[in-house]
Amino acid sequence: MCTVTLESPAESTWKGYSLAERDRRWQRVRQLAADAGFDCVFVPLGNGHDARYLTEIETAAFVLPTDGRPPVLVTDKGKGNAWISDSVAANRSWPRPMAQALEEAGMERARIGVAGLKGGKLSHVRSPDGVLVHGAYEEVVRVLPNATFEDATDVVGRARFAKGDEEIECLRRSAAIAEAGIDELVEIARPGADQAVVYASVMRRMLRLGSEYYPWALYAGPRDGPEPARMTRPPVGRKLESGWMITDEVSAVWGGMVSQEDQPILLGPIPEEWKPAIALQREVFEAGLERMRPGVLFGDFIDFINGFGDQRGMKTFVTMHGRGFGDDGPLLTSRARGADLRDLAFEAGAAFVWKPYGRTADERISFNWGGDVVVTEQGGELLSRRPIELVSIT
Amino acid sequence: MQDAGAAWKGYSLAERDRRWTAVRENAAKAGFDCVFVPLCVDPGNLRTSSAGAQGVRADCRYLTLMENAAVVLPADGRPPIVINDRGRPNEWVADPRAAARESRRSWAQSMSQALLDAGMERARIGVSGLAGGTVTHVRAFDGVVNHTAYAEVLRALPNARFEDATDVVGFARYVKSDEELGALRRATAIAEAGIDTMAEVARPGVDEAELYAEVTGRMLELGSDHYHWAMNIGTFDKEGPRYTEPPLGRRLRQGSFITNEMSAIWAGMVAQEVQAISVGPLAEEWKPVVDLTMEVFDEGLRYMKPGTAFPDLIDHIASFSRDGMRASVGLHGRGWGNDGPLITGRAPLEKVRELRIERGNTWVWKPHVLSADGSIDFQWGGDVVVMEEGGETLFRRPREGVLCVP
Repeated sequence: MCTVTLESPAESTWKGYSLAERDRRWQRVRQLAADAGFDCVFVPLGNGHDARYLTEIETAAFVLPTDGRPPVLVTDKGKGNAWISDSVAANRSWPRPMAQALEEAGMERARIGVAGLKGGKLSHVRSPDGVLVHGAYEEVVRVLPNATFEDATDVVGRARFAKGDEEIECLRRSAAIAEAGIDELVEIARPGADQAVVYASVMRRMLRLGSEYYPWALYAGPRDGPEPARMTRPPVGRKLESGWMITDEVSAVWGGMVSQEDQPILLGPIPEEWKPAIALQREVFEAGLERMRPGVLFGDFIDFINGFGDQRGMKTFVTMHGRGFGDDGPLLTSRARGADLRDLAFEAGAAFVWKPYGRTADERISFNWGGDVVVTEQGGELLSRRPIELVSIT
Repeated sequence: MQDAGAAWKGYSLAERDRRWTAVRENAAKAGFDCVFVPLCVDPGNLRTSSAGAQGVRADCRYLTLMENAAVVLPADGRPPIVINDRGRPNEWVADPRAAARESRRSWAQSMSQALLDAGMERARIGVSGLAGGTVTHVRAFDGVVNHTAYAEVLRALPNARFEDATDVVGFARYVKSDEELGALRRATAIAEAGIDTMAEVARPGVDEAELYAEVTGRMLELGSDHYHWAMNIGTFDKEGPRYTEPPLGRRLRQGSFITNEMSAIWAGMVAQEVQAISVGPLAEEWKPVVDLTMEVFDEGLRYMKPGTAFPDLIDHIASFSRDGMRASVGLHGRGWGNDGPLITGRAPLEKVRELRIERGNTWVWKPHVLSADGSIDFQWGGDVVVMEEGGETLFRRPREGVLCVP
């Protein structure tokens, strides 16, 4: 079990990722791009997550030649940073500077791998149409008629999949901040509490610890009622009530790494009939951690988890998605069942929010608890420190 | 300030119909058969600025009250076809279509089908968000439309003509209704509560991340949506860096000088209040600059009457320059996000040359004054609505250029 010190942000010595981390990322992306036969990887305007990963600047376009030559960066005002000393200025109009960056890198007749053109398996997983701005991208394609542009979302996605040590440390801290948010939620969630105030208090707590703003999700409604609405902004005109169930996805961001901690809270005593589903969920959670080893195929993992409850006369269901710079994969939910992920293997350093379901046989009672996990040679390491349980506030 | 439980029930159906009618009329005048708001890019991935991110999907919010939707609104009065992720309805749109039968699939096919179903195979289709506009998407020069889905729609309708119609929706958004003004008034009040909190918390030794957190928390608990509001913390001699997230490694000290763009959102309307705060007394040499700024602020309000051309406003404000100090306009629209006109140091002014002020326009009015030696650049302002008699402030705080806290 790790310990994370949450000193006040004013005392923080975090200055961003090191140059060694930059080189690790660039080298990995170059290697994957070369394997895919691309002359460069191009991150156009609109792909903020990949831009941040490769440059530490969110609003940027980036050309990374595969052969090891230096990259070319485009930013709005032409500024550089600790990673890249200078950049081409866009001045709010990006097509020409992006085309210029590709030309500067000698890509007029190249095979250009475009990150963010479509949704990938390991990044931009919720963006099937990609993330690029039409007005900017189509002009670049027009200006370089002899180049070939192809989707390379998975090239950068694959590099992002396995985290470096610095990234894991940031995710650890991010998870600790999210848990502080949960502590706050447990402290103030009471019948009669204004939900907007609850929402604000959790967010305030995480911001005070230096998290970037990330809209956490709150679901609050009667214990046995229909699934309540997902609120990612302060709910207006709503109060918590006795007997309600609160589920949540509390996310914090540190060093760009987005964590997620899921802590169910019941405003009342835990009914006896719920306890088997809660116990089963803990069991499948831990069995999943044990099974999450490098080389294990997701197809085998999905089958194992989804079949885990059968032998106990109950049901279990895999739910997880990647953690990292945003919209990370793989994505396994009730809507995304993972048919296209079966041949993907776990890798050391891959990070997820792991939140399987335990359900009664009739599916009337369904429970999930979740936390951030990093894959190690020994299995999944849980970054969260709180117990795997339903919090009951009576 | 009431708590977040205030009885807001959302915009009325009459407001919906007003907006749809205004957009249809603008579209018909421009010769379009319909207005098409395609899938726009993800604001979490395209944060060119706080305003830019807020504006990315503003047109679909304006027309449907949905966070992410594509819309085909025929100009001839037929009802719109609306597409969202899962086909979930809301108070305004009872029967939207799902973007795809299966999860995580492209929106292209459903958008193409919507245009075909609306009879637009050979139509002149006005696309909103394809490029930056005169009064909307003003910082998004390259537009906000998702490339991959839109390119597929173009391929699916080879005989239709697709042209930019950002201003068709933009000029409907330009003039606010009473319901929108009511929402902006409340957003302004929340932003002012944020300023009050900042003045209460800002003291020597305070962690700047805590300052950011407390202000954000205050606005959220009053029911504001989040907006990446901005603060700069430096000194009288040196402007500090701009933060739209909690700053790390910094504490306030005696002599810290805070400038800000305090933004709150209520019912989609984005307010902005600008109020400098000094931790300690105001430096003597700043006083004439601050005084002139406040004077220019009020002069601007008197001058911004319906029918006034923006170049005239710019010249009028500049005419107040004196003693080597230079006064200039700082102004940008308020509404659903990334609203115009945009008149700042960076913004090209070609787009506003022919533009006139209209009753019901809203903006943050924040004129600048630059000291004679150029070392001081001061700005103060807040939300304003244009009435027959000129600009009316929506905020209530006193005309105090710099709040000095102990």
